[in-house]
Amino acid sequence: MKRILNWLLDYSWVSMIVILFISVFAFYWMKENTQMETDLDEYMPKNHPAFIYSDEAEDIFNIKDGIIIAIENKNGVYNPITLKKIKDLTKEIQKLPEVEKDDVTSLYTADNIIGTEEGLDVKAFYKNVPKSDKDLIKLTHNVRNNDMINLRLVSQDETVTLIIANIHDDAFSQEFYQQILNISHSYEDDEHKLYVAGTPIVEGTLAHLAPKDMAKMIPIVVVVILIVLFLLLRSVKGTLLTFFVVIISTLWTFGLMAWIGIPIYSVSTMIPVMLIAIGVADGIHLFNHLQLHISQHPGVNKKDAIKDMISHMLSPVIMTSVTTAVGFISLLTSQVYPIKYFGLFTAFGVMSAMVFSLIFIPAGLMIFGLPKASKKIKESKASGDNFAYRVAAYLLKHKMISIYVSVFIILFSIVGMQKIWINSSFLDKFEKDSEIVLTDAYINEKFGGTSNINLILESKEKDQFKDPETLRLVDLLQEDIESSLDVVGDSFSLSDYLRRMNKVMHADREDFNTIPDSKDLNAQYLLLYEMSGDPDNLWKVVNYDYSKLNVNIQLKSDDSKSIRSAIDLIKQYEGKFNELGIDVNYAGSGYKALVFTDLILKGQISSLILSLLIVIVLLSVMFKKIIVGLAATVPIILTAFISFGLMGALNIPLSTTTALLSSIAIGIGIDYAVHFVEQYRLNAEKGLDLLQTAQNTMYHSGRAISFNAIVVIAGFMVLLFSVFPPNRELGALISLNMFTSFLGTLTIMLVILNYSKVFFKKKN
Amino acid sequence: MPLILILIFCSGIFSLNYIEKSEITIAKIMCIQNDLTSIISQKNNVPNTKTFTKNKKINIMKKVKFATFLLLFAIAGTEISAQSLTAQKIIENVYYRPTGADGTSELSMHLIDSRNNERIRQIKQFSKDFGKEEKSIMFFMSPADVKNTSFMNWSYDDASKDDDQWIYLPALKKTKRISSDSKDDSFMGSDFTYDDLGDRHPNEDNHKLLREETIDGKQCFVIESTPKDGDYMYSKTITWVIKDIWIGIKKEFYDEDADLLKVLTVKKYEKIKDYWVISNTEMKNIQDDHTTKMVLSNIQVDIGIDDNKFTERTMTRGL
Repeated sequence: MKRILNWLLDYSWVSMIVILFISVFAFYWMKENTQMETDLDEYMPKNHPAFIYSDEAEDIFNIKDGIIIAIENKNGVYNPITLKKIKDLTKEIQKLPEVEKDDVTSLYTADNIIGTEEGLDVKAFYKNVPKSDKDLIKLTHNVRNNDMINLRLVSQDETVTLIIANIHDDAFSQEFYQQILNISHSYEDDEHKLYVAGTPIVEGTLAHLAPKDMAKMIPIVVVVILIVLFLLLRSVKGTLLTFFVVIISTLWTFGLMAWIGIPIYSVSTMIPVMLIAIGVADGIHLFNHLQLHISQHPGVNKKDAIKDMISHMLSPVIMTSVTTAVGFISLLTSQVYPIKYFGLFTAFGVMSAMVFSLIFIPAGLMIFGLPKASKKIKESKASGDNFAYRVAAYLLKHKMISIYVSVFIILFSIVGMQKIWINSSFLDKFEKDSEIVLTDAYINEKFGGTSNINLILESKEKDQFKDPETLRLVDLLQEDIESSLDVVGDSFSLSDYLRRMNKVMHADREDFNTIPDSKDLNAQYLLLYEMSGDPDNLWKVVNYDYSKLNVNIQLKSDDSKSIRSAIDLIKQYEGKFNELGIDVNYAGSGYKALVFTDLILKGQISSLILSLLIVIVLLSVMFKKIIVGLAATVPIILTAFISFGLMGALNIPLSTTTALLSSIAIGIGIDYAVHFVEQYRLNAEKGLDLLQTAQNTMYHSGRAISFNAIVVIAGFMVLLFSVFPPNRELGALISLNMFTSFLGTLTIMLVILNYSKVFFKKKN
Repeated sequence: MPLILILIFCSGIFSLNYIEKSEITIAKIMCIQNDLTSIISQKNNVPNTKTFTKNKKINIMKKVKFATFLLLFAIAGTEISAQSLTAQKIIENVYYRPTGADGTSELSMHLIDSRNNERIRQIKQFSKDFGKEEKSIMFFMSPADVKNTSFMNWSYDDASKDDDQWIYLPALKKTKRISSDSKDDSFMGSDFTYDDLGDRHPNEDNHKLLREETIDGKQCFVIESTPKDGDYMYSKTITWVIKDIWIGIKKEFYDEDADLLKVLTVKKYEKIKDYWVISNTEMKNIQDDHTTKMVLSNIQVDIGIDDNKFTERTMTRGL
């Protein structure tokens, strides 16, 4: 290996040109063939039972997330102008190709079934906009007396009314959203204000915003890293060569993805983040060594210096890269394909960064010459008692401090971790004062809720859901969940239709707002509804042979705590349903998001543990000492503890982004440890004593590790200024992880190595 | 929604209702069945000079008499040469037609969704023309849980008078009146709207003869009908009318955005007594992938149904 690399030094130009040439190709491929995948459904594992079930139920009941347009008139909506706006807007929305024509619900399209003394009256609330006071009063009265419409389409205070439009699968786009916004805003005037909300908008905007924000932030991150890198290395050549390694490895990775035809998922936008964080490390360590070598051996020959650098740094660079790559490859255990790809391609990027560090940097140095030796190094070396030496001496003198602090941190983190929770909410990823969040909150305040879960009840018996006992249990559940959970604003099922029909057929008497006692009567009411109302409405709540029922539950929040509270309450009824031969299941986007998040996190936790084990084994083998494997993982374990502990303590929920960060914690943290241990071993084997070994290692590796940490932390602090909260979280957490890994490596790990007297055994 | 339309439909999908009594001599008419069935007098003297408003009650004369379901008669000896017909007249030929004085049949309605789930309803129906009004009544025979649920409809020649409709639910043991205002509503959860059942007057649309074409070996006129009222639920319909017997054998319905919405296909028509009767049809909603099949059996016409059949008492008695 070393020989090949040294041999390559004689052909610097060739290796340089070959690498650049392939990079240009990769860039071309990336530019021509990369596709973005913004449809969140594409992330879900299609063959997972929960998703199969949910998709099937969504298909049967035509469960879709609707776009909600709220029309507000502070003076009340029952006036000719507002009613005309409702009519016109409804018609305009129906004409949009993305919208399911028959699935636009508003006061204009809704049927009003009302009971009179003699019988039944089925009418639209209005066709022509009512102008006279008499007609307006009648309309107002009709809405107020219709439980299926009042509070669902018109708010309690009668100042807001909704238009709910279901859109076709995959029809949502930013252009469509903009179009809906433009149309809605064109109906605004002094009296009227319009709001647009709904799950498709939240998800669609999120899928669009995250990569967009990342694309904007990454160049800034890169610039900051370049500057900091230069300030630390004090070498333009070193900075540029290190930087090129990162850029080229990213290019190759994305070029490969494009070549194979794998689209960029929003999680893939984290790949450059990872490669920047990891890729600079190799360069920094190489230059660190080179600079120290030059300052220690003034006037050294260019090729010899580079050869020394290679021979000295080859094994730590390979070891760090392999361990990091293995950490990412462990993500292949995930059931979620975008995460598998993320792991695989990040691993590829890490390995290519390694190759470039070992070929491209030496080639560049051969061509452009060595960097100047840092003056600082010379001075500090001369003074003999530089900072690193003092720190190492202090740490070893007061070992207990590191140990106590570590133990304290672990205890504190365990307490914090108790409070950690998982959040699949999409809405929580937006700024608290963003239009999307405010609109959502506004509609949630006025109506049942913008988020849905669907409870799917399934029986083997046909006509099960005409049975009064069954329907009463469903009704009881609905009443219970609406009254006992604040987050549940409304629920809707077949029982609502039957209660309404029963009431209407009894001259609108409130005491008949109940589920009828006879199965035949239920069947006859339903037939009557089919004949007089829109039968398609029925097929949204029950299937053709009445063996499956869909109970729609509206929630005021899409966070996992809310969804879980609803599911927990439903669980109390599961036994009763089972007694009736009914299975309880769930469907809908909110539920899928919940299952999906669970999947990611479970995968994340198992891959975390797996990669930790692999790293321990790898390092134990590489250094031929189990204690080294264990010691080297201490900083990353600490990092993970602090990271999760702080999130729990600060009430930051785990999400797909934050969970993925644990991979970086390992990937990067282990690099620090490996470099440090390797240097420690070399120093120990040179025959230095315990203190000298620690001091020399601190001086050599400690310096590089600090540089590395400073560069990456500075780079990712930039993300704190992102307009997109998840990216801010990402920046903060990477910075934190880097800092704790760095600190853990230089303190507690050093203390453990020192305690264990590892590498000194032979001597003793 | 006038129940009469249901009955008319059942008898033959498309039926006619409006006839100027004075202008028609049954013996001389030729009867055409189509989505709109019509009768043409020898003079071709159809009331096309009248303006029909959206309200179908206007100009209804003798509606009942000829609207008895299933009954679409064609009388031999057509004196009208097809070639000379304009599109308007072809549709009128289809629309204006007499039906028997009374009639009965059994309808089995198959509702098939996109996953091929099928629901079947069996309905027994009766109707009779009372001169100034037409009365009809229908009873569900199956499924079992709605057995003996019945509907009755009285429609009047007097344009100012709305149809009277009643429903009887046996489980509730109560008869209730129903009033409804939407004719674009689905007919009993099927893919037919009440309007599809054949109550749209020729003067409500502009008609254009597109071409002549052969379907299943039958020579047909292909007519495009565009509503005069821009707010109508269809932007246009295209009807294939069999020459000489004036049966609309196929009809396409286009939605407001001019996309194909539904296709109606006549699977079978037969001659009963002197009437051409469409006894098997299929309506397929292309956009929803939902289908309704209507099959008629035990069709009888001019059998002398008792006037007392059409009362609330009959409804409660069941079959």
